[in-house]
Amino acid sequence: MSETQIQVKDVSMVYTNNAGEKINALDSVSLDIKEGEFISLLGPSGCGKTTLLRIIADLLQPTDGEIIIDGQSPRDIRIKQEYGIVFQQPVLYDWRTVRRNICLPMEIMGVPKKERTSRIDEKLDLVGLKDFGKKYPFELSGGMQQRVGIARALALNPKYLLMDEPFSALDEFTREKLNEDLLEIWGKTKSTVIFVTHNIPESVFLSDRVIVLTPHPGKLAAVVDIDLPRPRRNELRDSPEFFEYVAKIRKCFQEVKM
Amino acid sequence: MTISKHERRLVTAVWLVGILAFWEIMAFILKYVVKSEMASVKLPFLHTIFITMFQNAGMLLEASAVTFSRALLGFAIGAVIGVVLAILMSLSKTLERIAFPYLIISQMIPVLGLAPIIFNIVRDMNLSRIIIAAYITFFPVSVNMLSGLKSVDQEKKELLYAIAASKFNVYRKLMLPYAMPYLFTGLKIAAPMAVTASILVDMLGSKSGIGVKMLYSLYSSSMDIFWASVITSAILGIVSYYLVINAEHFFLPWQSGKEGETA
Repeated sequence: MSETQIQVKDVSMVYTNNAGEKINALDSVSLDIKEGEFISLLGPSGCGKTTLLRIIADLLQPTDGEIIIDGQSPRDIRIKQEYGIVFQQPVLYDWRTVRRNICLPMEIMGVPKKERTSRIDEKLDLVGLKDFGKKYPFELSGGMQQRVGIARALALNPKYLLMDEPFSALDEFTREKLNEDLLEIWGKTKSTVIFVTHNIPESVFLSDRVIVLTPHPGKLAAVVDIDLPRPRRNELRDSPEFFEYVAKIRKCFQEVKM
Repeated sequence: MTISKHERRLVTAVWLVGILAFWEIMAFILKYVVKSEMASVKLPFLHTIFITMFQNAGMLLEASAVTFSRALLGFAIGAVIGVVLAILMSLSKTLERIAFPYLIISQMIPVLGLAPIIFNIVRDMNLSRIIIAAYITFFPVSVNMLSGLKSVDQEKKELLYAIAASKFNVYRKLMLPYAMPYLFTGLKIAAPMAVTASILVDMLGSKSGIGVKMLYSLYSSSMDIFWASVITSAILGIVSYYLVINAEHFFLPWQSGKEGETA
């Protein structure tokens, strides 16, 4: 449980934009992530949090530094199909029903048919969409679509669950509800979760540790351990301890003069 | 919300009655107000055309079947070629750069000129009809399909990339289904054109087909038959279009659902 699983070693990322200027998206970020940990990458836009997530997912190659996961490269982990990814948008396939959307990665991975069906049932139940399996994505609300995206990632029982601002397009009420649901689901799966967000209370509510990133260039400013008891329910958001953590993290940003 | 089925039918009905009425009134004006001697040639009464169509239904149907079946076969062949070309071009940027100018040039040759050339080469009326219909079909199908394949969202691809899906699976599970609505757009454009092309080939000296009826009746001044053939041809084009629309609703149920939502 406490063993280091993902090592981020001096990872830098430099883009060249259209005007030919070099943009320092990530500047020598180092970080250790433990097995089964829920960590958030928190920061304003431009801090490189999504870039870091994409580098871990092998969707981007860093200009410098490396990432080691259980002694292997992100590419090895991707080829071994151990990632589950949830994007900012639900990224559902319009032509597939909810059930078949969840089924898609399992088809690619060659999960036997019987097992697919049982996993779909289980995951649909988990995200509270039991009666919507036969619907097409356009028939669902944004929040429901996002749940389908989460169910699809979970159905793989991924060792590493990477989430890129999955709730940022949703209203506050739906977001808080899904935060709670996500923790409940995570409690059952025990994947290692890397969760990108720009919402301070969300990061505090969800995480074991919050990684605070600041922009221009994207730098690791602080790592804040969140010692709040689990299981966490939404009432926790009204507790003084919760406010303290939110205030503490907000201060991290003020100190670097955002 | 979308307009109801009932309302949609009403719109169609009013539209149809409007056109019929307009035609009849214009024909009436031409004959009895302007007193044109050529009235029955310029614009005969619609009901007389329908009566002629009814009286010659057997002959017209037979001729239509000849023309339409060849058009359909050519359309199918052209569609397959178009799809295959689009897939190949989406797989290789180099191939796209090589092939695309040829595709464009192919469309600059007028069918009116190409049809006799093809006929002189193959010396077979049926085969010429099929080739020309295919030739007309493949271009809109190919271009639309290719634009579909190229407009797949990056994130939808990354979803598969992240679990190391093979290229074959990326095409099977994502690219091809995604491009289907685009394919149908191409098919909708091509279908009436394929029918027109087939009719055109009829006129090159075929012995059967609706185009032949049109041409012969024009020469022999049997204007009733001429107009009946013209209307029949128009119906063939409309039928081909609606066949594609129905196929789209059948094969892409999510698509018609989405249109209903946003309309």
